[in-house]
Amino acid sequence: MAWYDEDSFLTRGLGPYLSTILITALIAFTLPVFLHFFIFRAKTPTSLPTFLVIGPSGSGKTSLVTLFEKGAPSPTHLSQSPLSVRVSLPSTTKAASSKYRSENDPTLKLEKPLLLVDTPGHGKLRHFGLEHLNATPNLKGIIYVVDAASIPSSSTGSSSESGLADAAEYLHDILLVLQKRYTTAKSSKGPKDVPVLIAANKLDLFTALPAPLLKTSLEKEISRVRETRAKGLLTAGSGDADADDRGWLGEGGESKFEFRQMEEVNVPVQVVGGNVLGSEGPDVDKWWDWIGSKL
Amino acid sequence: MLDSFEILSTSGVVLWSKTYVPIGPSVVNSLIKDVFIEGRNAAAPDESRGPKPTYKKDKYTLKWTTAKDLGLIFVAVYQSLLHLSWVDELLDNIRALFTGLYGEQLKKSKSSAISVKFDSYFDRQVQELEKTGETTSARHEDSASDVQFTPPSTSSDADPSADELPPPIPGLRKADLARPISRDDNSTDVTPIPTPETSRPTTPAVNNHLLTAKGGPGGRGSRRSRKAASSSSAQASSGDESPARRGKGTAGKAAAKKMRKWDAEGMADEDDGTTLDYSGAASGGEMPAANVEEIRQDTWGRKTKKGEFVLKDLDEEMDSIIAASKEKQAAASEEGSSGLMGQGIGAISGLFRNVVGGKKLTKDDLVKPLKAMEDHLLNKNVAREAAVQLCQSVETELIGSKTATFTSMDTTIRAAMNTALIKILTPTTSLDLLRVVEATRKSRPFVISIVGVNGVGKSTNLSKLAFFFLQNQYRVLIAAGDTFRSGAVEQLRVHVRNLKELTKREGGEVDIFERGYGKDAANIAKDAVQFAAEQHYDVVLIDTAGRRHNDTRLMSSLEKFAKLAQPDKIFMVGEALVGTDSVAQARNFNDSFGPGRGLDGFVVSKCDTVGDMVGTLVSMVFATGIPIVFLGVGQHYSDLRGFSVAWAVQLLMS
Ligand SMILES: Nc1nc2c(ncn2[C@@H]2O[C@H](COP(=O)(O)OP(=O)(O)OP(=O)(O)O)[C@@H](O)[C@H]2O)c(=O)[nH]1
Ligand SMILES: [Mg+2]
Repeated sequence: MAWYDEDSFLTRGLGPYLSTILITALIAFTLPVFLHFFIFRAKTPTSLPTFLVIGPSGSGKTSLVTLFEKGAPSPTHLSQSPLSVRVSLPSTTKAASSKYRSENDPTLKLEKPLLLVDTPGHGKLRHFGLEHLNATPNLKGIIYVVDAASIPSSSTGSSSESGLADAAEYLHDILLVLQKRYTTAKSSKGPKDVPVLIAANKLDLFTALPAPLLKTSLEKEISRVRETRAKGLLTAGSGDADADDRGWLGEGGESKFEFRQMEEVNVPVQVVGGNVLGSEGPDVDKWWDWIGSKL
Repeated sequence: MLDSFEILSTSGVVLWSKTYVPIGPSVVNSLIKDVFIEGRNAAAPDESRGPKPTYKKDKYTLKWTTAKDLGLIFVAVYQSLLHLSWVDELLDNIRALFTGLYGEQLKKSKSSAISVKFDSYFDRQVQELEKTGETTSARHEDSASDVQFTPPSTSSDADPSADELPPPIPGLRKADLARPISRDDNSTDVTPIPTPETSRPTTPAVNNHLLTAKGGPGGRGSRRSRKAASSSSAQASSGDESPARRGKGTAGKAAAKKMRKWDAEGMADEDDGTTLDYSGAASGGEMPAANVEEIRQDTWGRKTKKGEFVLKDLDEEMDSIIAASKEKQAAASEEGSSGLMGQGIGAISGLFRNVVGGKKLTKDDLVKPLKAMEDHLLNKNVAREAAVQLCQSVETELIGSKTATFTSMDTTIRAAMNTALIKILTPTTSLDLLRVVEATRKSRPFVISIVGVNGVGKSTNLSKLAFFFLQNQYRVLIAAGDTFRSGAVEQLRVHVRNLKELTKREGGEVDIFERGYGKDAANIAKDAVQFAAEQHYDVVLIDTAGRRHNDTRLMSSLEKFAKLAQPDKIFMVGEALVGTDSVAQARNFNDSFGPGRGLDGFVVSKCDTVGDMVGTLVSMVFATGIPIVFLGVGQHYSDLRGFSVAWAVQLLMS
């Protein structure tokens, strides 16, 4: 049967037959639908923008997360496991992505959901937090909560007695992980920004250190931490090859560590005060603003 | 009397609490820290049965129980002076109630916020148990609530459903009970109800989703328990996240409450309830007239004698939930013997689940793989005691939990063991020795002493430490406290000479402090510290004589030593080669310095000789909870390493 015969499939396929038209129509109409289901749906659902809440034990992380979720902090105890909660930005806070929207834009009224992941701060359980740093999809930022009342002003008391040493060490480790993330990144542009908010909590207590002082205290203590880390022994399992990149946080050389140096590795750090509890109610608006500015 | 009762989640949020006497958060915090995180006085293996574990802190006694799958902890706090025998039962009942009421909600919501209205349930439980605790005869005076407190075997309305339905989950069960609502409509036809519009649209609206969800046999359950169920479901949905839902929920609840208000013939109604319970039984026919009467009053919603009836309703609901959970337990334990056919299917689906995941782990599932895991740990030179305990903690962790999708059971167990090892090996506070030395540098010398059994390499590791300090430009004094073994002082002298040679250029200074043999080591140590303070040394390292850890005479001298020398840190040197003995060594040395003083860390020597069999590390930390600080990995002065948890865990699990 040659192709030009009456009933060869080519001729039929191009000829004005009802069946041909039906089949063509069927394909034409269902194909987009199929494509939609197979290609569009199969794509992983994009995860919510996530903020990691991390910090030493007793700094008020869980209180903060419950406050953000419900508007009032729950009573809490030591955390043993991470907790992720879905919260939405309060209407008073504007997300950075809607900066150019007009006041009356109805999309402004939509809730902006985000995920807060609370991690335990106990010394034995910090691996949860550190693992999350690299394993969280769509990580928009890190909220490092510090109990500002546990940190004495630099003139009094030795650092090893107070919460400062602990807070600085944990923060050092976190920043180091973020720095490694940048230095080991494959692409020339480097990974996305991971902004860090250092939330100086418990400012309702009169013993608490105000945010600017806390910043300098932490910077000083982190300088000390990275120095002794560099001088300390190699840890088991790391070969001699690792000796050099043991991790020196921030700029090399003699200068003191400053949070500003972290911007080099796409980690802008900001210190903002506030309190979760307190007789005059919580004061967390500035933290919300920070979250909003990173969305 | 209880001081406080708290229900909290493992993530640290207190979901519900009742405080009779304020006690502050620190008591429960230290329970969590000591027991759950640091794993001291380990919990009883099977918490669902047997006496509950206790924990004493200050003047309080704490008892607790957990619901692993939901990550809940139930803690009761009371004064140690009191003997409250009923606390165990209270914990059990509250757990059953709470998981029954809020379990579903906790499972699905990604939030810390569930709204819990649990007070009245709790109060009733406490009242009842207190009563039963005081006098058992008082039991029968408490007319209505009492009947319900029967064990599941005699509980009339619970048993039949247990036969037909596989383990009835509380939610399902409630739905089942709620079913007679549809029959209720018939009775509305028979008896004209003045206000059907107000009662019907609200309550069924709340119940609707429950009704559609269930598939149990209908026609069972009393009207009374139906009401109880409706009230409970109203409460459950009132915790829903969306505000609209919440509004509806509370509306439903209000209506349900209204319905529950009965007037003076409460007792008669109570009889109804029980009669209807035996819906198949012969006595059922007696009461219909009264029954109809009661319904009418119910829907009129008279508000008399409010409190009592609300409470009675709660009782029934509570008891049915508790009974259900007991049944579930019983059913779970009987599951194995459910006949050949069932077993075959169970086995196949179990195999399938093992591959696909989502398998609910039971004790039987875990026995074999955990035995394998235990052998694996033993092969890694972990002491038997530690290996058994670790496996047990993994078991309690996993029983009742589900494997994640596409994870086999072995992977799950390995992951759990991994976390357990990380948890046990990670120190509570990280020890940065240089930093603490630096802190005291200006004011006084920092004193470190080294103890251990004979021949583990105390002097060698001491000189390694000295080398490390010298490299950091400290002035180091080494005190020869081993006045017992001949040659010990000479050995140290050689070390010091070598170290001087090695670090001359780098600016460190090292000297030896010796008083020959036979003198009391404690006094020598004290003198050395004094001498170092006068001469402005930065670090004093005190060597001690090796001693068998089971030699009480020699061990007792350590207490005096600790008192006189006042070391800032006491490190014990242990060999990586030693096997089971490591546990006893670590324990005895830790206990030998008198009350209030213990070891500060371990230095594990000869790690280079054992390859990946680093189980000793685990055994020592397990026995004492004291961290490992340094590892000796060779013959040179520079062969000292910091401890890395990741490294150790990787070797152990390989
Ligand atoms: N005065 C005051 N107390 C606060 C504030 N925020 C938290 N707290 C208290 O600090 C304690 C610890 O808070 P948590 O939220 O449990 O601490 P956490 O950071 O979650 O601690 P971990 O779970 O152990 O890591 C609680 O008793 C809070 O009441 C605050 O702003 N002011
Ligand atoms: Mg917490």
